[in-house]
Amino acid sequence: MTQTERAAVSFTGAVKKFGAVRAVDGVDLTIAPGETVALLGRNGAGKSTTISLLLGLNEPDEGSVELFGEPPSAAVRAGRVGAMLQEGRAVPRVTVRELVAFVAGRYPAPMPVERALRLAGITELAGRRVDRLSGGQTQRVRFAVALAGNPALIVLDEPTAALDVEARHAFWASMRSYARLGHTVLFSTHHLQEADAYADRILVIDGGRIVADGTSEELKRSVGGGLVAFDLAGGGTGGLERLPGVRSVEVRGDRARLRTDDPDATVVALAELGAIRGLEVAPASLDDAFLALTAAEGSRPPFGPERASSSNSPRRAGLQWPAFNSADIEEAS
Amino acid sequence: MLDYLRLEVRRTLRDVGFVIGGVAMPVLMYLLFTNLGADDGGYKTAAMVGMAGYGAVGSALNTGGGVAEDRAIGWLRQLRVTPMTPRQVVMGRALTGSVTVLPAILAVLAAGGLLNGVRLALWQWAAIALLLWLGSIPFTLLGLGNGYRLTGQTTGVANMACNLGLAVLGGLWFPVTLFPDWLRALSAYTPTYRFAQLGTSVADGHAPALGAVGVLGAWLLAFGSYAVLSYRRSGRTA
Repeated sequence: MTQTERAAVSFTGAVKKFGAVRAVDGVDLTIAPGETVALLGRNGAGKSTTISLLLGLNEPDEGSVELFGEPPSAAVRAGRVGAMLQEGRAVPRVTVRELVAFVAGRYPAPMPVERALRLAGITELAGRRVDRLSGGQTQRVRFAVALAGNPALIVLDEPTAALDVEARHAFWASMRSYARLGHTVLFSTHHLQEADAYADRILVIDGGRIVADGTSEELKRSVGGGLVAFDLAGGGTGGLERLPGVRSVEVRGDRARLRTDDPDATVVALAELGAIRGLEVAPASLDDAFLALTAAEGSRPPFGPERASSSNSPRRAGLQWPAFNSADIEEAS
Repeated sequence: MLDYLRLEVRRTLRDVGFVIGGVAMPVLMYLLFTNLGADDGGYKTAAMVGMAGYGAVGSALNTGGGVAEDRAIGWLRQLRVTPMTPRQVVMGRALTGSVTVLPAILAVLAAGGLLNGVRLALWQWAAIALLLWLGSIPFTLLGLGNGYRLTGQTTGVANMACNLGLAVLGGLWFPVTLFPDWLRALSAYTPTYRFAQLGTSVADGHAPALGAVGVLGAWLLAFGSYAVLSYRRSGRTA
């Protein structure tokens, strides 16, 4: 019980229905104070609804949601929560400082406005009107608005959508400085690299349920398997897909890349064939883990023996591994 | 909530559309209408009240346009994740409306007194300003009702239609004495006619008729309920 009371965020069997759709379908999760947690999921997986429940913008139809041991609306009222909402746009006809100062003033123990501006990296924009800033600058203003009240929990719903690479780096640097102060941070994203790089813990949501919960390393390990690459050195590619563990084969130039459920067995088999020039074995990436974890129920079972048996279907393999290096699930799915 | 009021009033006054459409237009129309036709002191006073009323109605409805805009950009949703209560937000908005009607009222009255030579006792000036100010509350509620119910663009159209329709029907632009009988009868039930009547009766030197207060009171209730219903409905979606 004390555990629940101390948790920054706690969902117990939370369900939210919109008509016949169960957008959130029985979510249980606990986030301890000070954690930086990423919420990963495809579009429509239930990320935004989960965040709405968390912020008290929606009430769960079943189960309960608590922040710091009280209902979300009470925690919000008490100034424990700051949020950067997904669909927020620039507020017209106010300056950056006016806006941030106004929001800070709503909270019982806000941080000084200058500090909020500095943390968000917008000190030099303080006197500018919010509606005359670039997209990246607006985004940082919204971040300043979220942290101005110095809330114990900050929730960022896809904070870097529509940011370029540079702005994204600047943003995460700011977020880290805030998290380092001991605050709890929950952010949703569909950029896997961001979850990998900036979260202590990753929650993967799919079909309204939490399908995985752990560190980036744990998620990758849970998926198992990996990538085995070697130089063909003129050798043929025939039969590679029938090697033990191999799920798919990709040839780039003179190099073959095998997706495998059992890298050891695959390597041994390759060694027997003498095909080990430039051999490389890499663990599964977070992309792989994500795709495996969010495989549609029934149609794509998690990695395992059944999967290996169907590995000869090229259509299927093509569907599963469309873009190895893509950081963006949107493109991948 | 005072901070919120200050922020929203500031945002409204920075809106060029508001300053031109809500304040400058009524003043210009007043000066135009009263100086083109025959020089008649009585009309200048009545038109002053009518145009001040027109400006106040426009500004009051404009509050609703602000709400629709804030809804569209997610600002109202953002406020819901701050410690502000919904009641504070709505009250703040209503108060914003009641502050932003003042520039129009005062500007038209000033134009009447300073440029058109309207002469009234000091108490009459004060009473007219006060009554027009209080009398604009139903229109603020109508604007809020539109703003919470409709999208940004439709709110603009709805507010414009309400503003022009009610202004013309209520005789804020042209005196109802020019109307045919049936339209005059209809006009007596409009909130705008009764609203202007608050001011014209004071200008004539007597207290507003009970009928004016009664009809306006009924509209206050109607628009107030409309605003509450719209707000509740928006709470479910926004």
